[in-house]
Amino acid sequence: MENIKLKIARVEKGLSQQDLADLVSATRQTIGLIEKGKYNPSLNLCVKIAKVLDKTLNDLFWYENKE
Amino acid sequence: MIYFGMKTKNKKPFLNMDERNKQIAYKVISIMYFLTIFAMQGIVLYRQFALGQELGDFEDIAIIMTINSLFLVSALLYFGAIQIRKLKVKSLLLIYLAFVVLGSLFTYFKYNIFQSPGLSFEQLFDKIIIVVAIIGLIMGFWILLSILGKKRLDKELE
Repeated sequence: MENIKLKIARVEKGLSQQDLADLVSATRQTIGLIEKGKYNPSLNLCVKIAKVLDKTLNDLFWYENKE
Repeated sequence: MIYFGMKTKNKKPFLNMDERNKQIAYKVISIMYFLTIFAMQGIVLYRQFALGQELGDFEDIAIIMTINSLFLVSALLYFGAIQIRKLKVKSLLLIYLAFVVLGSLFTYFKYNIFQSPGLSFEQLFDKIIIVVAIIGLIMGFWILLSILGKKRLDKELE
């Protein structure tokens, strides 16, 4: 499932995928795949991303089940 | 864009690999490792049974494979990839028995099926005793390593 929340938070911060990747010591491809929902990042990377984007883990990675 | 207290660029690890790159690399390396081991096993069996070569002709490959397999299982046990401590004594005995049966069958096929004339019952029994003893030693070594690995982990958790 595509991670729209992450994409929106990144764009709101004015960061490109490459900028975010540099800030969290990842590659642009990894950030792209996380946003596409095709790669499950480690908790460590999730925390790094959340800190950089000034968000909580819930804000970026938690999805309620839709009825 | 620079934020307060934030580094603009973290130090990149070796080969600029992030966690995803490493995961892929580990997976590929593991698959290639097992393919290599299986290929070597195939070569050893082919040389031994199809070409009828003596052990001395491919001793180097056999030694590499034996040491490699022993260390692989030992490392998996020590670092906690296989949790042997959860196995009951009965299960361990069954595994030991299975190894003994496999080793004995291999010995029997090697000396009495693929070689002519085959060994007498007494000679074969002597060979199987060696198999039983070596497998016992190896399993003892693995159990010891798994206990040491558990102790190491418990120490880290203290």
